[in-house]
Amino acid sequence: MESNQNRGLNDTEMRRFNDLGGKTAPARVAVVAAGVVSPLGFGWDETLATLRANKDCVSPVTRFDVEKCRCKTAGQVSDERLSERRNGRKGERLHRATRMTMVVFEESFGQDPKFKPELTVIGTTSGGMSFGQDYYRALHRHRDLRHSPGWIANYPPQKPVIDAQDAFNISAPCQIIANACASGTNAIGHAFECVRSGKYQRVLTGGYDAISELVFVGFDSLQASTPEKCRPFDRDRSGMVLGEGAAIFALENLESARARGARVLGEIIGYGISTDNHHLTQPDPSGSGPRRAMEQALQSGNRSAGDVNYINAHGTATTFNDAAEGKAIAELFGGVPMSSTKSMMGHSLGAAGAIEAVVCLLALQAQFLPPNINFRNPDHGLHLNIIPNESREAKIDTVLSNSFGFGGANASILIQKLAA
Amino acid sequence: MSLQIAGMGWVTPLGRGVDTVWGRLIRGDEAPRQPISDPVSDKEYSAFRVPADALEDLPPHPRLRRASAISRFAAAAGIDALIEARSTIGEIDTEGMALVFAVSNGGVIYTKRFYHNVVEAGAQSASPLLFPETVFNAPASHLAAILGITGASYTLVGDGAVGVLAMQMASDLLDNGAFESCLVVGAEEADWLLCDAYHKWRLLKKEPPIELFRDPPRGMILSEGAAAVLLARQGVVEIDAIDAGGNFFQRREAKKIVRRILHNLADEQVCIISSANGTFIDLAEQKAIERELASALVYSVKPALGESVGASALWQVIAGAQGLRTKRLPQMPHLPQHIGLNFPASNEIACTKAIILSCGLNQQAAGLRLSI
Repeated sequence: MESNQNRGLNDTEMRRFNDLGGKTAPARVAVVAAGVVSPLGFGWDETLATLRANKDCVSPVTRFDVEKCRCKTAGQVSDERLSERRNGRKGERLHRATRMTMVVFEESFGQDPKFKPELTVIGTTSGGMSFGQDYYRALHRHRDLRHSPGWIANYPPQKPVIDAQDAFNISAPCQIIANACASGTNAIGHAFECVRSGKYQRVLTGGYDAISELVFVGFDSLQASTPEKCRPFDRDRSGMVLGEGAAIFALENLESARARGARVLGEIIGYGISTDNHHLTQPDPSGSGPRRAMEQALQSGNRSAGDVNYINAHGTATTFNDAAEGKAIAELFGGVPMSSTKSMMGHSLGAAGAIEAVVCLLALQAQFLPPNINFRNPDHGLHLNIIPNESREAKIDTVLSNSFGFGGANASILIQKLAA
Repeated sequence: MSLQIAGMGWVTPLGRGVDTVWGRLIRGDEAPRQPISDPVSDKEYSAFRVPADALEDLPPHPRLRRASAISRFAAAAGIDALIEARSTIGEIDTEGMALVFAVSNGGVIYTKRFYHNVVEAGAQSASPLLFPETVFNAPASHLAAILGITGASYTLVGDGAVGVLAMQMASDLLDNGAFESCLVVGAEEADWLLCDAYHKWRLLKKEPPIELFRDPPRGMILSEGAAAVLLARQGVVEIDAIDAGGNFFQRREAKKIVRRILHNLADEQVCIISSANGTFIDLAEQKAIERELASALVYSVKPALGESVGASALWQVIAGAQGLRTKRLPQMPHLPQHIGLNFPASNEIACTKAIILSCGLNQQAAGLRLSI
């Protein structure tokens, strides 16, 4: 049996290597294409420009009535621009989530048309929820239910992904992960593990979520969302604002990608997952759940905390999340620069981890640190190195992205710039 | 790497416990019809419900105090699977255990109640107690807390095939080497709203019995419950192949993908645990079986237990495992007279392998093969 040093593997990797009968070393996992749509913009270029401009993309909610809610704002994807991309009459029946998913497929497969996934792993929290609402409202008010078969057919969470795959002639099996707000990062992390193990060569992954009244009102009822600005890690933070969007990644065995001459945008190198059983909606105040996820990601990536140059925090701006996450980051990473880009676009739930992973890739490619906007006063209980209000240039090689959710779902991924 | 079933738990409209439910299926019992209605409409449907006494000895846990039926079903099945696994392979370290939870409709009862308040009285009436229970991963979170699982927990959403996709994910997690075992759970709760939705989608019939393989199909009856399967390196039944299948874009295309799955999983001395439920699925599976494995014995639990959607594929897994363990399969009720499939004529079977064929109602299909 080979020693760890000979292969440069840590203990976990060596165990995997031995479990695979010593035939295959853990594979390196390349990102060969990615697509994104969010309140920050459509595609990589718009997203990068908005991040650099430190723009607040949160606006008054227009999709449903929020008069009786405390919070009245959200990060929203332009309906007009989504409508421009409708695909004939069928497009009119599709849910907004499907149309957002198609936008990101278009960008990703535009970058690498030859990418053919063996498996698709996508995160979401609510699928086509607004169609479920339409159906229930029509039932409740004894209104016209002629459209109900369409609402029902387009409601399931796998539907946007299957429709997008159909449009791009892909028939890979779809695993739809619904781990609340950690879904997107869990999806990318599991896809990474699948390629890394050598069992799969190519996996499509990411997350999507479209804003809906039920979810908006739900967070409002918990008083988790704020009537003010979203100020992650600020002393005066008062809650989150919701967002929406989608992002996907084409992950491929690095050797395979290089062999076919694919462009490599970055490398996923580590993943951590933990479950915090403290409470259904609140993290253990000790930060132990997030900390375990981050430690695992480092261990899985064979990196130390000192190797990380930037952290894209979950940072919802709720009192409890930021305190628990901030404590864990401070203990583990000390003063590593960090920001929550939810301050700019809101919290897109199942899409958040995927969109924020694109933000991380952009930061690595353009060598800058994305900002934590609306930041006024440091929370002196948290010893953090926040990137306040303005993006700035920086040399970065390795970044960590966190996502934590209801049900105690915690996920962290480690991404690195691939050396030329 | 060997992937084995070390323990199983089963909560169904025919009761709780693998031996109990299996015994009733072998006897030819069918779940009783229960009417299901809602103030929002004067329409009444039929469903197969889990009897209240099935959960009487569920241990008290703070997480179950307000939890919906789906979480209670899952807790009962998960606890039972662990108890059986401990008697089969010894002590199990929950720190080295992953959880994969398969669901389709999720906590629909609380979701409906939550949104009903919003529709009826406005957003200011929305309940902060109900909302967290509407989230798809709430049942998995409760189960993880009850069992002390602190590592990986994934909730997978899909149609009836999601249970097989969950088994695939569990297999991937165990192959990745970070876990010693994985508890795969499928659960669903029945509600009037679901019945109405499936009825509007022309998949539901109002009264039992569920009559399989009719042309045109006559419809299904919705049911509820849970199944839990603990996967480990040792056990009593092996998962020797999984085909995660793919998606069909039109119902008429289902046959093609089901046939491909059957072709990939075909083997000698195999029986097929079908997902036929009285809908378009029956014809897709019938045609595929006739072309690929015409002589194989075919059995479906759905005439007796109903369509439990997110739990259904794992119900099939348990039925397949029980068939192989006991060398028996229940006989099938309400079949048409002339049909080119081979159904169990008596309870005794000689199969050493079972294909779990799972074609869902919402475009997904997958399968796996068990062996003993």
